[in-house]
Amino acid sequence: MEKVLLKKDFPQWVKKLESYTIYSPQKEGDFWNYEVTKNSEIIDLDYLNTVLSPKKIVFPQREVLLEFSTSDEDELKVNEVLPEETQSIIFGVRPCDAKALTLTDKVFGGDIKDPYYWKRRNSTTLVGLTCNTPPSSNCFCISVDGSPHSKEGLDILMTDLGDKYYTESFTKKGDALLNLGKALFKTPTAKDKKDLEKIKADSKKKIKRQIKETAKIPPKLKDMFDSSFWDEESLSCIRCGICTYLCPTCHCFDMNDEVTSSSPIQGERVRTWDNCQFPDFTMHSSGHNPRPDKASRLRQRILHKFQYFVELYKNYQCTGCGRCISKCPVGIDIIEVLEKARDHGS
Amino acid sequence: MVNLEELKKEAAQILKEGKVKYIIGFQRSSNGLLPVPAFIKKPEDVEKLVWDPACVHNLTLFLQDDKNKKTKEKEPDERPVGIVVKGCDSRAINVLLQEEFIKRDDVYILGISCENTGVLDEKKLAKKLKGKKAKKAEFGEKDDFVITTEDGKIKIEAQEVLSERCLECKAHFPVIYDVLIGEKTKRNVEDPFKSLEKTESLPAEERWKFWKEQIEKCIRCYACRSVCPMCYCDECVADTISFVVTPDTPAEEKAQKIKWLEKSPVSSENFVYHFVRAIHLSGRCIDCGECERVCPLDIPVRFLNKKLEKEAKELFDYEAGFDPDKPSLVSSFKDEDPEDFIK
Repeated sequence: MEKVLLKKDFPQWVKKLESYTIYSPQKEGDFWNYEVTKNSEIIDLDYLNTVLSPKKIVFPQREVLLEFSTSDEDELKVNEVLPEETQSIIFGVRPCDAKALTLTDKVFGGDIKDPYYWKRRNSTTLVGLTCNTPPSSNCFCISVDGSPHSKEGLDILMTDLGDKYYTESFTKKGDALLNLGKALFKTPTAKDKKDLEKIKADSKKKIKRQIKETAKIPPKLKDMFDSSFWDEESLSCIRCGICTYLCPTCHCFDMNDEVTSSSPIQGERVRTWDNCQFPDFTMHSSGHNPRPDKASRLRQRILHKFQYFVELYKNYQCTGCGRCISKCPVGIDIIEVLEKARDHGS
Repeated sequence: MVNLEELKKEAAQILKEGKVKYIIGFQRSSNGLLPVPAFIKKPEDVEKLVWDPACVHNLTLFLQDDKNKKTKEKEPDERPVGIVVKGCDSRAINVLLQEEFIKRDDVYILGISCENTGVLDEKKLAKKLKGKKAKKAEFGEKDDFVITTEDGKIKIEAQEVLSERCLECKAHFPVIYDVLIGEKTKRNVEDPFKSLEKTESLPAEERWKFWKEQIEKCIRCYACRSVCPMCYCDECVADTISFVVTPDTPAEEKAQKIKWLEKSPVSSENFVYHFVRAIHLSGRCIDCGECERVCPLDIPVRFLNKKLEKEAKELFDYEAGFDPDKPSLVSSFKDEDPEDFIK
């Protein structure tokens, strides 16, 4: 379904969606982040990309999996806690972040479907926004099979045409939202379509950063596991978790029992994000750590995204959002690391 | 004015003579305004070295890596590491010496004077430039910075874009060094704790609300811990395995290890993490401000350290990082130490 929506009508459309929980990018001091939005007037789609991707909504940093307790008779009771079935909409999703969710879908949607992830994922409608200009100076989606106007993973893609949004719906979930605001949407004119094409074509040209010959990288990395390359590239790494926690595709997690009372025993089993850059991530109970240093951890981050994931799912596990570059405390630049790896020893 | 050529010459000289095993300094990044750490082994590579007002990093952090590497090697290279330090960074070296984490012979200190300014705050600069991307920052003739953007060069008063820590700086030139590049200058900082006024003046409930909101933003990426030159414990209470486990540790002992805090990023656990961090740095923090700079969620963590720095100054007249031979704040005791705050 393709429609146009005047910008002045946008708040009215959002008002008609009040049965949903709505998330949108909100400005918090100097940065943007997705937050629950109560008032349709304050959805501002003129935003830079958010610090945390919408992954935090579909795959929250903390999730209770089950509750446990013992009764007076010492009987153990376990209750599965599934997320509430809340229909929600995320407005202003960048195409790179939407594509990232399609990659995480593969991970949580294998032979065993993760019920916690899918409950949220299935009840979330993603309304994207074309990046007419790159929302970060480190955007490089076009180098990893993405595009600033990709519809991959999105239910709706809105494109800013000045005073209106060209609104394309690709799924039933998307159509449902457009139908709720039916009277507000108009049929696009030939000029609207022409404008849309021009903006989409221009949007790609505005992306300044790129990885050249990305396809050459995965086969190259295969032979670099034992290379001293990783020692050199990780010299300035400080071992923090910014690159992975901010990454829209990183999905590793840990599970812990959080005991709230020891007598009688009460507590929750909780899943939290985990991070391959931390020392305890691969720590064995014997005390042996197979990834004992920052070189092996940087290697893991790169190989997971550009070798293992490619072998498993035929996709790069990176969508070029640029967060890890912009926020790295010491300026480690994944584009630079990958290009150096591509040219390594040749 | 700091003459960069002087630094390069000295660096090349000590590398040629084999006086140091390598030099940690700053080099231009391929992308972005901030230079990045450089690890220079060959004399010809000293050309990469830069010095400008965007050299924000406290490179003394990397002395931890050097020490860890040495403990793992059978025949470690015992020569010192050459390291480029600003005034604040040099105070970190003093603390590390005082705590005997490093020895004086482990470092060859290339001190650089910040002269009358300091380093810039990237966020303040971005606001000032209103969306224009800064490519390069240079020290100007007099207390100003020359910023290169896509549209050419502009001059900005240093005071307008200086990082907060520099506005409250107590050491504009290194307090310990082997070679000093630039001049020893004296700048008067009226109140080194001025930035605390705003939160200190709030009533307790509002202060609690302020910190609760801030701390709840934390995603526990531990960048504030990772970037700190003083956070050098083998293992941190914040990690799920607390205290070192070796292949010889019996199972019962492992089972009894205390979990100090949960991994869940909820207010109670986040507070424990941040308070542990702040308290472990009292009397040790030299206010390089890196913890706050690197926070992806802009949590003003520097304030926590700054508050404890103020307490140490007011109660014990103690300032970290000025004298490596003096006993540290938490390991010393005097009869006249105040105790009326113990209730």
